[in-house]
Amino acid sequence: MGRRVTRRTFLKAAGTVALGAAAAGTPVRRAWGQTPTRIVFWHAMGGNLGETVVNAFVNKFNAARKDIQVEAQFQGSYDDLINKLRASLGSSSVPAVSQVYDIGTRFMIDSKAIVPMQTFIDREKFDISQYEPNILSYYRVGTRLYSMPFNTSSAILYYNKDLFKQAGLDPNQPPRTFEEIEAYATKLVQSNATRSGITIAIYGWFFEQLLARQGALYVNNNNGRTAAATAVVYDHEEQGTRILEWWARMVKNGVATNPGRPTAASQRAFAAGQTAMTVDSTATLKSLLTQSGGRFQLGTGYFPKPPAATNGGSIVGGASAWILNGRPPAEQQAAWEFVKFISAPPQQAAWYVGTGYFPIRRDAYREPIARQTLAQYPQFLTAISELRSSPINPATQGALLGVFPEARQKSEDAIEATVLGRKSPQQALADAARDVNQAIAVYNRTMGVS
Amino acid sequence: MTPASAASAAARADRVLPRRAAARTLRRAASRIGLDVLMVAVALVVLFPVLFALSTSLKTAAEVDRYPPTLWPHVLSPGNYAEALQQAPLPRFLLNSLIQSGVITLGQLATASLAAFAFSFMQFPGRQVLFFLFLATLMIPGEVTLIPNYLTVRTFGWINTYAGLVTPYLATAFGTFLLRQFFMTIPRELQDAARIDGASRRRFLWTIVLPLARPALATLSIYAFLSAWNQYLWPLLVINSTDMRTAQIGLALLQSQEVVAWSLVMAGVVLILVPTVFLFILGYRHVVRGLTAGAVKG
Repeated sequence: MGRRVTRRTFLKAAGTVALGAAAAGTPVRRAWGQTPTRIVFWHAMGGNLGETVVNAFVNKFNAARKDIQVEAQFQGSYDDLINKLRASLGSSSVPAVSQVYDIGTRFMIDSKAIVPMQTFIDREKFDISQYEPNILSYYRVGTRLYSMPFNTSSAILYYNKDLFKQAGLDPNQPPRTFEEIEAYATKLVQSNATRSGITIAIYGWFFEQLLARQGALYVNNNNGRTAAATAVVYDHEEQGTRILEWWARMVKNGVATNPGRPTAASQRAFAAGQTAMTVDSTATLKSLLTQSGGRFQLGTGYFPKPPAATNGGSIVGGASAWILNGRPPAEQQAAWEFVKFISAPPQQAAWYVGTGYFPIRRDAYREPIARQTLAQYPQFLTAISELRSSPINPATQGALLGVFPEARQKSEDAIEATVLGRKSPQQALADAARDVNQAIAVYNRTMGVS
Repeated sequence: MTPASAASAAARADRVLPRRAAARTLRRAASRIGLDVLMVAVALVVLFPVLFALSTSLKTAAEVDRYPPTLWPHVLSPGNYAEALQQAPLPRFLLNSLIQSGVITLGQLATASLAAFAFSFMQFPGRQVLFFLFLATLMIPGEVTLIPNYLTVRTFGWINTYAGLVTPYLATAFGTFLLRQFFMTIPRELQDAARIDGASRRRFLWTIVLPLARPALATLSIYAFLSAWNQYLWPLLVINSTDMRTAQIGLALLQSQEVVAWSLVMAGVVLILVPTVFLFILGYRHVVRGLTAGAVKG
């Protein structure tokens, strides 16, 4: 708790201080000299992900390119990283290229401390036709691609096939709609197959995903995509209250468990066979497969949505690579070379197989290691097929919001208050909206966004 | 009472008393054993998180998620330690933490004892006002000074250096307060006597005040060391490269964004815990020795 408050306080303080400088530099191509151009890459990939980043990307790149040497530097969690980036903007301590999470997109653009990826793509007439259009649509703002998607995930349903069989449910027919989930969860509990039909962590990302599944917007101005957002809209939509009513009702009826905020708890409950269903990022697939340790058969399904929803789909999550303009043009160019390298099919396939994040380009699936993994674990296909079947519209492109980290916390407060029965869904969402709208107003004023 | 009856009473007492004494000793022993058992039980409760961390660090990934949770690993998996060391260069991080915390502790001892000396043994105009100003800085939350400190350190070019890591923490209002309160309990007569014998202020501080203040200095050392050791945000902010990182960030390095492998993280926790426990045992002895020094004439 202490650290959480600290970070939040820090975030506010940092936002106002760090946005002074950072002039837009004009990148110029320069002939490579004798000494290699050294660039720094900031990332938030700890654990085995970090190892994969360094081994699969950086070491391989450095070995292949004598003219560029990349140093990967871990900077803590996504939140830690963007806070640190805020504080460093406008100084020489910024890296040449940095990973930033999806919800930092608006802030990065507003900071004016970056070079849009489109600049490099246009200059080199780089072919992006193989890239997944649904993924690009998230990071494309207006007509320009601002950052290169790096690790992409979406939320899916995980279920325990053994428990489904015990409850007399078809293990090959995962529930799709809110009503089905509820009915399945009820049946699982009533048949005594398990005490918990479904466990959903209180995670703001799931709320965003559930809105998008219904084609509903999160903020105004077409999810902040036609102009900077000035207010959230979920408090005026029936889709928002529908989510919370469904969620709270299942918890109240004792068919769903509330594991609190971190998804670590719901993952463990699911891996331990204590709950029959859970929703989580595709990036946890690999570890859920290992953690469940062959104790049960793991099934994957599409993320839940109400039966009537037609225009919705999944939003990609994860993070992308940004090139910063605070470093000399030669380093920016070197950073672009590195970005191209990490998005190339062999690297994307290795990343996919090693983590569960899916490739950002279609030809990566043709790599031998990707094919082998798909043959062994068809579960890896669920997320990408759901993504590809999603229409591209402002709801599924995802919201752009400068204060997204804060907004996400507020929506988590709203979910928590509803699930614990402290507030009605309408009240909880109205309260969250009021706080977030205030934060948006402050942000837009200090950043000079109108 | 006749002598005969007195004698018989004494004889009775002779028979009864040892029995009573034995019963008393037994009761005493029983209550002491009871107390010991109680204390061990309480200690186990307090130690449980640490012991469970140790046990988790030796489990396999699949066993960590087993329900009901296992108290002790069924299959020992010491490979977690090797893997933790491979994922994060923990020895290097520990060394950095040791340097950082050590320098901060020494710095705080030096600045706080000098400032406390001024506030307790020297007379100068505005002493009280200055002291209250010192105390007032305790009211400022550390988070507020984080960004200004960062900007200053950045201007000095100290990003990614030990200097940037330790400098903002070399002075401490709390430590000054703590030592000043202790120095106030040292009799004024000692100062007078020292002055009459021709000791300078520096000599008085060095040879009389500081040795007397050993328990307070040890307390401050432990406090300063542990709070420096546990710092997270500041080291994360000023340090960029992996080889300059401190141990707490090393723990973050063991956690993935979406998934946490608890057995690995706990292996890291245990590795980072060991040096602090050692230092605490060493420091604790000093505290106790300081507290009891001179209490009993030897």
